Amino acid sequence: MRAYKPKDDVQKKAYYTDRFYVSPQVPKFSVEDDEVFAHDLEAIKAKVEVLDAYIQVGQMVVFIKPEDNYKVLELLRDRCEYTQLSEMSAIDWLAKSGGFEIFYQMLSMNKRKRLRIKMFINKGEAVNSVEKLFRSADWSEREMFDMFGIEANGHPFMKRILMPYDWQGHPLLKTYPLQGDEFAAWYEVDKIYGKEARDIIGPELRDTAKVDRYDSERFARLGHEVPKGTKITGNEPKNEQNYQEEGGVFMIKKFDKKDSVVIDDPQR
Amino acid sequence: MAQHKINYTQNGGLPVALTSIDKIVNWGRSNSIWALTYGLACCGIEMMASGASRYDFDRFGTIFRASPRQADVMIVAGTLTKKHAEFIKRLYDQMTEPKWVISMGSCANTGGMFNTYATVQGVDRIIPVDLYLPGCAPRPETLQYGVMLLQKKIRANHASRAQKAKRLM
Amino acid sequence: MQVKNRLSPFFENITFDREDNEMILNFGPQHPSAHGQLRLMLHLQQEMIVKAHPDIGYLHRGMEKMAENMIYNEFMPTTDRMDYIASSSNNYGFALAVERLIGLEVPRRAKVIRMMLLEINRIMSHLFWLATTALDIGAMTVFLFAFREREYLMDIIEGYCGARLTHAAIRIGGVPLDIQESFITQLRTFLDKLPANIKDYEDLLDTNRIWLMRMEEVGTISKEMALSWGCSGPMLRASGVAWDIRKEEPYELYDEVEFRVPYSDKGDNFARYRMYMEEMRESAKILYQTIDMYEKTVKEGQTELMAHAPKYVSAPKLDIMTQNYSLMQHFVLVTQGMRPPVGEVYVATESPKGELGFFINSQGGPYPYRLKLRAPSFWHTGILTDLLPGHYIPDVVSIIGTTNIVFGEVDR
Repeated sequence: MRAYKPKDDVQKKAYYTDRFYVSPQVPKFSVEDDEVFAHDLEAIKAKVEVLDAYIQVGQMVVFIKPEDNYKVLELLRDRCEYTQLSEMSAIDWLAKSGGFEIFYQMLSMNKRKRLRIKMFINKGEAVNSVEKLFRSADWSEREMFDMFGIEANGHPFMKRILMPYDWQGHPLLKTYPLQGDEFAAWYEVDKIYGKEARDIIGPELRDTAKVDRYDSERFARLGHEVPKGTKITGNEPKNEQNYQEEGGVFMIKKFDKKDSVVIDDPQR
Repeated sequence: MAQHKINYTQNGGLPVALTSIDKIVNWGRSNSIWALTYGLACCGIEMMASGASRYDFDRFGTIFRASPRQADVMIVAGTLTKKHAEFIKRLYDQMTEPKWVISMGSCANTGGMFNTYATVQGVDRIIPVDLYLPGCAPRPETLQYGVMLLQKKIRANHASRAQKAKRLM
Repeated sequence: MQVKNRLSPFFENITFDREDNEMILNFGPQHPSAHGQLRLMLHLQQEMIVKAHPDIGYLHRGMEKMAENMIYNEFMPTTDRMDYIASSSNNYGFALAVERLIGLEVPRRAKVIRMMLLEINRIMSHLFWLATTALDIGAMTVFLFAFREREYLMDIIEGYCGARLTHAAIRIGGVPLDIQESFITQLRTFLDKLPANIKDYEDLLDTNRIWLMRMEEVGTISKEMALSWGCSGPMLRASGVAWDIRKEEPYELYDEVEFRVPYSDKGDNFARYRMYMEEMRESAKILYQTIDMYEKTVKEGQTELMAHAPKYVSAPKLDIMTQNYSLMQHFVLVTQGMRPPVGEVYVATESPKGELGFFINSQGGPYPYRLKLRAPSFWHTGILTDLLPGHYIPDVVSIIGTTNIVFGEVDR
């Protein structure tokens, strides 16, 4: 029987997990433990609804509703001294709960604190752009759109950034295979030579461990090179590996090991 | 103006060397391989290092040119991505004949460790390659050796005949 | 021999005869002074840039996707290829993120070695920056000088890990090897020479009229702009924010060493150039101190190089070869990979380019569920959108030079 492979998550899976294995958790602490974070959380709570908040690995994580993201980030920037948006992106939870988790990683240089704002959106929903608050979100949101297909409302230039404009699919979705789909596999051939060249150029060789010594189309066997396309029998004569013809060439003497000096000290 | 008097009967005789067209053309071609700077990724740094002080490529007659029209060899140093693929084809077409291609490093040879959706699995899917250099990244010595092998390959050509069409389309 | 293909004639480079007298110039993606594969669409009025549109992604290799399909240790060599000028700092950023996730404490000797590697990488990166930027602006001598010094450091690193460029010299939980015998002597020799070398570069550049004209008052980034664009590292410090993660959120043993954080409030190209030069001096200072720290650990007999955590880190080689249980555990860790606890972590380190952050979301499996690489150069490229308008064409090259972007980490 063929093994069942879920279609909604085609990434690599652990091939064996013990039945009784329970993975440990990274400890979460209450926000009250840290005075600065507690104060910031109060400020956020006063303005919008906070779904959850805790401290993990020294950073506060705050869950908010997706429609509040602009308000919260504005509040953090103007009132709470979180002057930098270091990073933002999404996590694909489509298989588990049908949506994306979006995080904003904030940094306050005066307080020396980092916090993470998180929110959950459903599939097909867009987020409010925070590009007006932090210019760095300009490119981050474009990258998020490129990689996940999440659009940002109010963004001035919502186009792909890393992949070409005519690319199909969003690579970081869990449904997108690592080695690309049919479109990705033939992208460069179709673009440069056209579809009819597919047969001539041939499919991509994706097996990294493949070594075929009887194939003279791609690589030659070192020291046993033959012209391209020759049938290889296995008893090819050995070619001497030499970068220059014996006896030197026109106007150039051949390098002679006996007449040369070897310098051992690299720091000379 | 300085006066030059040449005594043909002394100091090694006539300042004339007899050779064939093939040899002299190949000598010229093989000893002035101007390379197109095609540093794409990490290997590009090693390519720069081989052009810099310690490895000093100039003594092979290899000078890096920024324009494809002045270059003889394209050293594809680094990962070629699908987004970039069309540009490598354009630049290759812009180079004048005769032209050669060195594929430097695993990524350019086969895609290397980047077995992903965005990487071209070997630059030879786009342009014909004369020489593959293994390594990730290859040391400057490897590139030097590669250039010397290319010189040998050029010398084996018949200069008077047109270059044989290489693979691909 | 022209080979037929589908590519349309490429006249996008220059567009004449626009009604507003605007010319569109395409810069890249294969431009010798673009430091990689940057493509810029520049809208020009005469020689003045009125709108700039950086286009990236020409080196996007899908590293984040790769990370989701790799066990943690397997991903380590891939991080080398991000900021390939200073590979060890990427290795370190990733290793530190995973260590924080699983709560691992690294032995002191490994910490010292890591710090040495990090600072050597910083000097290497800054030397490389100096070489390429000087070359772009026309100072060929500095290029040759700086590459000469860089080769010494590469020799030292090569002696340690065997590779010149892609080191993979740091493991999760420590370092795999002790430094070689000649390491300290070679490093000392280099460090003793370094101040004189930096002086050489400064003598060549600081009073050079061409250099000053291309650098001073060009590419000025205000403090607000730098903060808003998420700049970090020398870019931010040149704009008047004295923020160095090594100082403010110390990792490893950076709280035990003494160094200054240079900063400037000018924000122009020249301020950034000074920043790199000063940072090299500070790194040299840190390296002297780490040499002393290393010798102290030798004296005290601390020989541990990898953390002791059987669930996550393989035992030392000797144990693997002699003890059954260690061998089994090593086998499981290599074939299946470690399984960190369920949780999230974002760890930022100060790489030579700026804040290098790793965001890891682990669901308890051997593969990270999501790994986001926060590479400083990404935003340093983005800032070109706002920075270039108002400058002239030749300034583009010097501005790209001083932003010190590396496309391995912009596109990932």
